[in-house]
Amino acid sequence: MGSAARLNLVSAAWRLSADYWMLGVLALVGGVFSLLTVQEQDRTGRDAAEHLARALAADAPPAARVFIVAKTGQDDARFAEALERILKAGPFEVAGQVQGDPRDTVQALRKIAGDGGRIDIIATTRDCAEWPALARLGDTVPALAKAQVRFPAGYTWPTFLKADNLLNVASQIVVIAVIAIGMTMVIITGGIDLSVGSLVALSAVIVAWLIGRWGGEGASPTTMVLASMGAIAACGLVGLFSGAVITIFRIPPFIATLGMMQVASGLAFLLAQGESIYQIPDSFTWLGRGADLAGIPNAVLLMAALYAAAWVFMSRTVLGRHIYAVGSSAETARLAGIRVRGVLAAVYAASGLAAGLGGVVTASQLKSGAPTYGQMYELYVIAAVVVGGTSLSGGEGKVLGTLIGAFLIAVIWNGMNLTHVESYTQKVVLGLVILAAVLLDTLKTRSWPWRSLKPPAA
Amino acid sequence: MTTRLLTLVLAAMVGCALLFGCGDGGTTPAPKPPAKPAAKGKVVIGVSLLTLANPFFKEIEKAMREAAAERGYELIVTAGELDPAKQKDQVDDFIVNKVSAIVLCPCDSKSIGTSIQQANKVGIPVFTADIACLAKDANVVCHIATDNLGGGRRAAEAILEATGGTGKVAVIEHPVVESCILRLKGFTEEIEKANAAGTAKIQIVGRWPGMGAKDEAFRKAEDILQAHSDLKAIFAANDPMALGAIAAIEKAGKSGATIVVGFDGMPEGKQAIKDGKIYADPIQFPDQIGRLTIEAIARHLAGEELPKEILIPTRLYRKADAEKDPTLGKGV
Repeated sequence: MGSAARLNLVSAAWRLSADYWMLGVLALVGGVFSLLTVQEQDRTGRDAAEHLARALAADAPPAARVFIVAKTGQDDARFAEALERILKAGPFEVAGQVQGDPRDTVQALRKIAGDGGRIDIIATTRDCAEWPALARLGDTVPALAKAQVRFPAGYTWPTFLKADNLLNVASQIVVIAVIAIGMTMVIITGGIDLSVGSLVALSAVIVAWLIGRWGGEGASPTTMVLASMGAIAACGLVGLFSGAVITIFRIPPFIATLGMMQVASGLAFLLAQGESIYQIPDSFTWLGRGADLAGIPNAVLLMAALYAAAWVFMSRTVLGRHIYAVGSSAETARLAGIRVRGVLAAVYAASGLAAGLGGVVTASQLKSGAPTYGQMYELYVIAAVVVGGTSLSGGEGKVLGTLIGAFLIAVIWNGMNLTHVESYTQKVVLGLVILAAVLLDTLKTRSWPWRSLKPPAA
Repeated sequence: MTTRLLTLVLAAMVGCALLFGCGDGGTTPAPKPPAKPAAKGKVVIGVSLLTLANPFFKEIEKAMREAAAERGYELIVTAGELDPAKQKDQVDDFIVNKVSAIVLCPCDSKSIGTSIQQANKVGIPVFTADIACLAKDANVVCHIATDNLGGGRRAAEAILEATGGTGKVAVIEHPVVESCILRLKGFTEEIEKANAAGTAKIQIVGRWPGMGAKDEAFRKAEDILQAHSDLKAIFAANDPMALGAIAAIEKAGKSGATIVVGFDGMPEGKQAIKDGKIYADPIQFPDQIGRLTIEAIARHLAGEELPKEILIPTRLYRKADAEKDPTLGKGV
């Protein structure tokens, strides 16, 4: 490789690492939580059935009568079916199975005992084996006191790295992350938008209210889509209004959006009359709770798509470049012919739209709209943006950095929950993380010697 | 370089802080079990309360921990802190942790439906304590609470007693939680019954949301007193809100002229009754709620059938009761 090419590669790697070093921090924190949550995990479904069948084949007496117990739910259903199939193919006799709660199990067992049947082994999952009904079988069904309760051995793995936990982390941060897209743009222009939390509430209430008026629980998908678009548009208009107040009347963004925060919250409470609106069809939760593609929540896919679009917008379009220009120096941008007012109005409208979408997703997750949603969200959103590397003084920042920042907050939150950190301690830790990020932000804006080592920006 | 190093150090510090901070943050210390047959695993119960700032829920938590410790159950206690989205996340985490049972005091009786449905899908039994779920299609094994409807009626009796049957009454409520909805229902039904029977002429001038909190209720009460200078009484749907109303009444110089009836009977509320600030409270027994919830879980896991709800009656607690109460100190 020629020296010029090598230098390009090195400088590209350096730039990448300088811009996205937060990814390293994210990996480190994830690693810490993975170590802290290593535990015995339960096998589920067919995997569990196969392991248990193997264990039984190894040490159970031949022609033993086995009764299968499982809970309701997809995983347990697969476990029970697979186990019955495998055991029947082997040297065992399957006396029957039950899928339900402890009471159903006890009733089924009592019936067999009452009919004089014999059960040698009760094959079940660890969750069910913990039920006192089974753990103290001798007390519950004396006739079956000799039956052995068997469940598959677990495997050691960090709870943090379990697939459903990681998907949980992603889906728990969706609303904050989506709103953070708009907030990133606002902060890059040197402004701030404090109204996003109230806009989440307003949007959730509007979409719930519209659905309630246009069919309630029998509303059609078209109605739901229209209601969602209505709510998002309304919030976009509020954002546009904030932008107008800021650009035309020169009111500082902090004050203007603080005022709009109160207005939006009040409107939400007025519309909902203080209660939560819940006359919404079950299918509305498709966005917030559905997971169509390989178990990945739909909301997470939406978030990914929006971030991809935002990245293209900010780095490849004219308006995106103008946003950075306005943030670096509004006066210079104006002299260069950029319509500064238009750009500012656009970013605040975008922030409103993003918050509106966040509100619709929240309403979809909770299948209701209440004016109490979104409290304090603006702080978490701003935290995600700042932790992601966007400077509060404007002019620089990366949308993908915000995504990393949002995930860092989500990972710390989830990790603290998994390690049973008390909720008040959690607040302290999260506050410290935000402070640390802002500290780093202020340190970065001063000239440090290392900055001269960076190759000139492309 | 320096800033990057700093970040890594900070991240490491956060990690260490968590290592020390975690551990017995929310779990019960497992007592040494007596010689009983080796249980295959441990029963873990995930609890999400409404808030840990209200002493009522702290009492429930305390009773639950005691009952759980007796049985060797592990308890993970969290609180939604009035945020339905936060509570949803907590339930999701319980599901990932595959707890044996979930106990909820919903922050929003309607929004909690989707979370309960998630738990139903994986077969984790859900119990509600104090506040019920009002969403359809959400299966709750058992609801353990105070008889809020009856309690609301008791509160109406207290208002009728205190005001002599006539006058204007304002209500400070929290309509997103079912327990407060029921209290209001019992209250208004009883007042309307008395009005209809001709034995009273009470006018309910309006209902204001106090968010279940003292500061919000204080602000609302100030506004109410401004709007209705001849207000005879205020009924607040819980003690923190009653205490907020009292603060507003004292500030407006109307102590004695405007009567307050609360609900709960928490120590601060009982003290206020002793001091004559609150006329009376229908009191609840949160320790019973906590204890009976864990008992219900134990019975369910042992295979017993449970009723859909277990309701604990309230009792009207007046100044005379407060004066005889040995748990209260000398008032202010």
